[in-house]
Amino acid sequence: MAHPHMVPAVPSPDAALIRAWQGGDEQAAAELVGRHARPLARFLAGAGAPEADVDDLVQETFIRAFRSVDRFRGQCQFRTWLLTIGGNVLKDFGRRAARRKVLPLDDGVRDWAGDPHEHAEASEAEALLVQGLQQLPRLQREVFLLRAQQGLEYEEIATALATTPGAARVHYHHAVRRLKEIVK
Amino acid sequence: MNGDARLENIAKRLGNEAAARLDVEATARKVVARLREQPVRRVTWVQANWLRIAAALVIVVGGAVVASRLPPGRRLGVNTHVAHFVADDLNDLSADDLRDVLATFDQIISSDSVAVPEGSTDLHELDAQQLRAVLRSLEG
Repeated sequence: MAHPHMVPAVPSPDAALIRAWQGGDEQAAAELVGRHARPLARFLAGAGAPEADVDDLVQETFIRAFRSVDRFRGQCQFRTWLLTIGGNVLKDFGRRAARRKVLPLDDGVRDWAGDPHEHAEASEAEALLVQGLQQLPRLQREVFLLRAQQGLEYEEIATALATTPGAARVHYHHAVRRLKEIVK
Repeated sequence: MNGDARLENIAKRLGNEAAARLDVEATARKVVARLREQPVRRVTWVQANWLRIAAALVIVVGGAVVASRLPPGRRLGVNTHVAHFVADDLNDLSADDLRDVLATFDQIISSDSVAVPEGSTDLHELDAQQLRAVLRSLEG
């Protein structure tokens, strides 16, 4: 009889799909997009991506992920790894946008998310939160989103962001303290 | 509802509209098409690294070939190596011993027993057989 707490060593569906993609199976790649595109879009939008660019940024994130998938060793969930790549894609996008608009950006993605009023369908609180997130350092912003929006554990966040669970917890609490001031 | 819980509640809804608007199937198709159009960069990376390795090999092998073709007098490394051993041996000799060696050497050079190339006093220009003869003479 199996121990009630033991998890059977069945590879995750993601792992099987990644192996299939590495073997050249395009359908596997499409299925991975299908499984993770919406959470990735939520993460990117929450991190400040303009809604008009979310689709492009999602595509770019998957392209980068598939091209460097050999570096993914299962150290965290595929989705978590994907979200961190999304953070880098968004940062690069912010830099390009900053060069085009010549805005005085401090952290790559600041301000280009636009005026909160542009988020017509978002509630005022959500718009304020998006605005507040742009004022946080990138690491605080990503830790907050991975924890509060994506519901990840600190251990998982720490692995993905190459930090410690304790540091991730500190970043989260700093982010919450500052965001509460903005959203109250 | 306290502030933390309210904030987390708002955060959970963040980006829902953008995600809902995303046409996932179309996105998947576009991603696959882009991957097909632009082959994985890994191939380029591997090619670039093979080129670097090949270039390094060419430099090492080419350098070795060039060094082997240099006249003996210009092979600094080899000369230094030999000089090091000769110097070690000479250090063990007294002044009188050294004078004896030089005298013997002069005698050998001036004798007809060893064919020294004409117009040369350089040991480097002796062939292997001639050098062996010189060494045998030095052994007495």
